[in-house]
Amino acid sequence: MYQSKWRIFTNHAILILGALFMIMPVWIAFVSSTHTREFVFQNGLQFWPGEHFFENYGAILFDPSATKGRVTALEMLFNSMVLGLGFAIGKVIISMMAAYAIVYFRFKLAVPLFWVVFSTLLLPLEVRIVPSYEVVASLGLLNTYTGLILPLIASATGTFFFRQFYRSVPDELLEAARLDGAGPIRFFIDILVPLSVTMIAAIFIIMFVVGWNQYLWPLLMTTDDQLYTIVIGIKQVYNSLYEGGQIPQFPKAFALTIMATIPPVLVVVVFQRMFVKGLVETEK
Amino acid sequence: MATVTLNQAEKTYANGYKAIHGIDLEIQHGEFTVLVGPSGCGKSTLLRMIAGLESISDGEISIDDKVVNKVAPADRDIAMVFQNYALYPHMSNYNNMAYGLRNRGHSKSEIDSKVREAARILQLEDHLERKPSQLSGGQRQRVAMGRAIVRQPKVFLFDEPLSNLDAKLRVDMRLEIKNLQQRLGITSVYVTHDQVEAMTLADRLIVMKGGIAEQIGSPIDIYEKPETLFVAGFIGSPAMNFLPGKVSDDRTHVVVGDKVKLDLDHDVEAGRNVTVGIRPEHFRLCGDDAGPVSASVRMVESLGAETLVYLDFGIGNENVTLRVQGTHQFAKGTVLTLSITPDMIHLFDSETGKRI
Repeated sequence: MYQSKWRIFTNHAILILGALFMIMPVWIAFVSSTHTREFVFQNGLQFWPGEHFFENYGAILFDPSATKGRVTALEMLFNSMVLGLGFAIGKVIISMMAAYAIVYFRFKLAVPLFWVVFSTLLLPLEVRIVPSYEVVASLGLLNTYTGLILPLIASATGTFFFRQFYRSVPDELLEAARLDGAGPIRFFIDILVPLSVTMIAAIFIIMFVVGWNQYLWPLLMTTDDQLYTIVIGIKQVYNSLYEGGQIPQFPKAFALTIMATIPPVLVVVVFQRMFVKGLVETEK
Repeated sequence: MATVTLNQAEKTYANGYKAIHGIDLEIQHGEFTVLVGPSGCGKSTLLRMIAGLESISDGEISIDDKVVNKVAPADRDIAMVFQNYALYPHMSNYNNMAYGLRNRGHSKSEIDSKVREAARILQLEDHLERKPSQLSGGQRQRVAMGRAIVRQPKVFLFDEPLSNLDAKLRVDMRLEIKNLQQRLGITSVYVTHDQVEAMTLADRLIVMKGGIAEQIGSPIDIYEKPETLFVAGFIGSPAMNFLPGKVSDDRTHVVVGDKVKLDLDHDVEAGRNVTVGIRPEHFRLCGDDAGPVSASVRMVESLGAETLVYLDFGIGNENVTLRVQGTHQFAKGTVLTLSITPDMIHLFDSETGKRI
């Protein structure tokens, strides 16, 4: 398509402005986290980096007192990682298997059951959070990783996406596998899972980020600081900014925020490559 | 090598639709059987019943005298080639061929020698490490055949394997399949809607329509003596001409339309209404001599080696097709005189469509 110079210029101007608009808050948070708290308190938010990067990040990562609790940011990152990975991997496995049953096995009520699962898409977690809490509490799973992850592991979205994908796999592939002597489990592991790599990557990305960003659920399930996730940690630090008559910990709060965003960004970047690679290679 | 026997095999779907109405068939050792028919005639269903991918509602199917109605597809010792190849897209061609052997617990070295042997026969040696998506359609179909032959099954089943290929490749692969089947001597059942494939490949041809085997026989038998109007119209290209006629009182002629009289040597009662079938290639042009039939030209199609002429026989808007060797130029409206020998005339009952 022919594009005039003027048009290229405006296109780029809009894109660059948009990119700046998105990136500026992150930049401000990052550079403000590299100054001392006195400097930020006196001079407001900063646009250029300061000299206290290692000091601030070191304190937040390894010193529990810097986060106003009994855990360091490193421990909170670990908790978040466990939650994010457990949440994403669990959801991928469960929804793949559920979709496999729905698409490839003829059993009574398969269709109504699918729609029951699908309709739960309409119910946000908040609707069932109190009964879920009750169940987890009576199972004695409060303040455990199992209690954090297990109740969230079923995924209507994932089941739906995998179902749609499986239905697009040609029936002849199943028939060829049957003639080749592959039973249901072999077919699933040898054929369906490798074909689903791109779907798995996509759902893993989405679910990891969702799991990482969970706030309400871990807040309810954990009363023990040792199990706090980083998202809760941020809230704690910001809460304490104006308490206690000290100079607010702005740089450290910003540092915690920046660290909280790094793992999801890494996951997206790493898996996006796989995602594209998968798309190119599994062309049918 | 094996025999396949169908004894009143029937297929009724859960919704009550009857796809196959009781078929009897005996396929001999090493025989190449072709199922041919228009879409929806049940030919693929029948093949899938032999494969075990469709259940058998009634009757029996046996392979080597062993009833396989309840035997799983993998245990029937058959191999199938699909229309869309059905190769596993994420596996290399080598693994595509080896997969069935691995599932059957063959040793690694045995698998390797079998796959390489199949690759050698099919000239795929250079492509074993690639994935199916990196191959052309014809090569993919070869990999699919390789997957079938590595197992050395009792029976090969082909489900329209050539219909995704372009015309030239189809001819090449047709020869290759025939060649391969003769070399390996494996009993084969082949489904197609293409009558050229059917005629050229088959030792025995089964023409199907509406879940019934209309006629079973050698391709030439079926071409020369079609049992029904349907078979007569389906086998042969361009299709046989059908003309409504009436047997003359002295039983020596059949009268078609107002003016055409054809000599007969059939034993038919006088005055009977019949459908006269004449293949386009069985008319002879009489040149300037007076022939028994004269008709004017409506349209001409030149194919180079032969010319198709569409004639007005004075029976409504129906064209009668004439096929002559070489190229000819006929202006529209030219009157041609034709003759036909009586033994090239097929007569069918107007009511039942059965051969007389």
